[in-house]
Amino acid sequence: MADATAEPGAGRPSLMPALERMAGDIARFALPVLFAFFVGAVVLAFIGENPLDTYALMLSEGFGSSRRIAATLSAATPLLFTAVATAICFRSGVFNVGVDGAFVLGGLAAAAAGALLPVAFGWSIAPLAMVAAMAVAGVWLYVPGLLLARLDVDEVVSTLMLNFIALGLSGFLVNTLLLSETSGNNTTDTIHDVAELSRLMPPSTLHSGFLIGLACVAAYWVWARWTPAGYEAKLVGLNPRFARAVGIAIPASIVLVMAISGIVAGLGGASHALGQVHKFSDGFSAGYGFTGMAVALLARNSAFGIVFGAVLFGALASAGTTIQLFSDVPLDIVNVIEGTVMIFAVMELGRLSLRRGRAS
Amino acid sequence: MAVRLGARDVAKSYGAVRANSGITLEVAPAEIHAIVGENGAGKSTLMRLLQGLEQPDAGSIVFNDRPIRLRDPEQALGLGIGMVHQEFMLAPELTLLENFVLGHEPVTAALPLGRHIDWRAARAAGDALAAKTDLAIDWDRRAGTAPVHIQQYTEILRLLQRGMKVLILDEPTAVLAPQQADDLFTLLRQLRDQGTSIVFISHKLREVIALADRVTIMRRGRVVASSRIDETDIDTMTRHIVGEAASVAPPAAAVRAAAGAPVLDVTGLSAPAIAGSHPVRAVDLQVRSGEIVGMAGIAGNGQDEFIQCVVGLRKPSSGAVGLNGRALAGRDNADFRAAGLGYISPDRAHEGLAKSASIEDNVMAASQRAPAFRRGPFRRLGAVRTEAFRRLSQLKVRFGRLSDPVASLSGGNQQRLVFAREIATEPALLVVAQPTRGVDLGGIAAIHAILRDFAARGGAVLLVSEELDELIALSDRIVVMAEGAIVGEIADETATPEAIGRLMLQQDSHGEAANG
Repeated sequence: MADATAEPGAGRPSLMPALERMAGDIARFALPVLFAFFVGAVVLAFIGENPLDTYALMLSEGFGSSRRIAATLSAATPLLFTAVATAICFRSGVFNVGVDGAFVLGGLAAAAAGALLPVAFGWSIAPLAMVAAMAVAGVWLYVPGLLLARLDVDEVVSTLMLNFIALGLSGFLVNTLLLSETSGNNTTDTIHDVAELSRLMPPSTLHSGFLIGLACVAAYWVWARWTPAGYEAKLVGLNPRFARAVGIAIPASIVLVMAISGIVAGLGGASHALGQVHKFSDGFSAGYGFTGMAVALLARNSAFGIVFGAVLFGALASAGTTIQLFSDVPLDIVNVIEGTVMIFAVMELGRLSLRRGRAS
Repeated sequence: MAVRLGARDVAKSYGAVRANSGITLEVAPAEIHAIVGENGAGKSTLMRLLQGLEQPDAGSIVFNDRPIRLRDPEQALGLGIGMVHQEFMLAPELTLLENFVLGHEPVTAALPLGRHIDWRAARAAGDALAAKTDLAIDWDRRAGTAPVHIQQYTEILRLLQRGMKVLILDEPTAVLAPQQADDLFTLLRQLRDQGTSIVFISHKLREVIALADRVTIMRRGRVVASSRIDETDIDTMTRHIVGEAASVAPPAAAVRAAAGAPVLDVTGLSAPAIAGSHPVRAVDLQVRSGEIVGMAGIAGNGQDEFIQCVVGLRKPSSGAVGLNGRALAGRDNADFRAAGLGYISPDRAHEGLAKSASIEDNVMAASQRAPAFRRGPFRRLGAVRTEAFRRLSQLKVRFGRLSDPVASLSGGNQQRLVFAREIATEPALLVVAQPTRGVDLGGIAAIHAILRDFAARGGAVLLVSEELDELIALSDRIVVMAEGAIVGEIADETATPEAIGRLMLQQDSHGEAANG
């Protein structure tokens, strides 16, 4: 309720409300995580493990040394891309679940370009491979965007199905046209050495794709907050009828966010192919598109939240693989925690928060 | 007099709005009782109370001469009070028979595990009821494909099957052709003669005269008249419905500049209908600069469709829309805005505002691409913020912080914010629909002042309102829309609620002549 005595000039921002809002944002981020760790603790206790010991081990495996931190950031790298690609759509009320497929095809395009372009192209191979990945993945999601905008084809169904097509298509290509002559099956040639993204902290696999991912997050923040198109996309997500009645072309906005989503996901695939695995083989994406969705939901589409969320899930993934070596705790506990975070992230006290997203 | 269903001194308020106050209603057994009144007169609220959807703040509901407390609709149904809604509540994918028994299916008396729906009994019950009421119904038809009056019959039979003693029908003829309406009336008379009480909500006075035994007229949340139907006539009822027009001060007519060049020029505009409404039929309308043109009409007579065509939210099927000399029929809202349109939506909550967005985002929407708020590809957030303050303070919108959600404002302040946004771009034409809906008295005066000021500075205004007082107080001339066409025009000097009301309500005779 507006205070009857408040003057219009009283609307200047003050520090206290800003702090309150920040506290609220942090709580909305932290509570699902805490709940998830609690549920994970119950599961651990149930299988006879000490939850505190396990979590302490996970913490030290995730962040205990500069090498472990590098491994965490390395695991977080693909999530930065897929989370941004998801958030940009969710923020506009477009439930795009096809980021994983776009990530896979982007990786395939980049790996193929990285291996097949003449080595004489030198340093320009990596950027060319990225452009190829962005083009392929951008078109890949542009199509369901167009179908949604023009023909009202449900984007959940179309993008979900496109994931399977992307998997099948890439699986077919790496066993036929792009099959490496030096290896058995399911894989392309290794990319030229000159096309590899530089390692930031050898011997860890952390590579400069992480920096590109951070740049993507920053670009997303700028786009969402500082451009008319980003503002319009937000209004479309908050209330399409209102957006239309203030002259915003909703179809154009939908197609735009879908195409950008594909481009970002494709760049993520390129970063993973050129920086991490140096080739494309079946099983290229370990569900990065879906973990990215969890990150976007947890972050409520906020750019800063995406960085935190990606690092959190990266730490879970990298710690999860090593604790399996050092204890009887199965890797699946990480999946339990991830899944639980996702459920609690979308709850927001019983209300789905998709349409309330923002990037600031 | 025996009372089957009624209300005694019932009051109900929503916030500051007194939707019902001191309502007394008495519906006798075996009586058809019409309830008439303008939109917003409080009819729907009263029906919600009678159904147990809501509880009165004061007074009580009366059933069989005794005051009762209706907790919920289930209890009302149990007592035999059933409602046929304007939008039918049938499941479109099920057959009419399945819909007929839905929720109280007859079952075979076999063992619990082998129990199943006894379709033969269901059909027999349906046929028996249909025969009793002289109806023929093809029970195997899917509800979604059945004609609308058959759907309505099914819904009525469904309620009768559950032993309803009182049927409440909310504008049952709104979706019917005249012949179908006559058939419905025959059915309702038959039910009355068999002992059912019928509460009949309608706008159409000729129907009320033809069908009802008694009529109760509501205005502004009160009962203003109640009488036997043979003791009243259409003119008397019209006078009660629209009331006296003295409550809003007339404008200072001398200040008004003579109307200038045409800003909005609509010729031969036709458009398909939104569900349950009327299509727009060949409407011609001009609005000149400095002029406020009012558009009157009972809700659902094509005004919504017409407005949407004129603001670029709906594609007309034929005709031309000119704004500032540019032909825009069928173009997008953005094109209309570029040509000089401002638009105050009738649906403030869902179209006029994005409720969960901030005050700043709401008051600055539609200006995000204006050169003043951009530097290269980026928005100038500082300039946006300054302009938001300017717009809000210009129309004295009371608010806390720019980042607060707009839902935190009161109804009147929300509407001021909408005006602040739409007037800030200095449009040549302002299309204004239901500007004071849900706004308190102080807010109404402020909004009227904004509109007069806008016209005095040379703006053109098309004002669509269900408030006749408002139309008379603000408009230079008033056109009346009925069944999708403009049926008359009244100059300001001769405008009285009675004259407008007669034009609005004359649709019955016209409609039968046109459709029958």
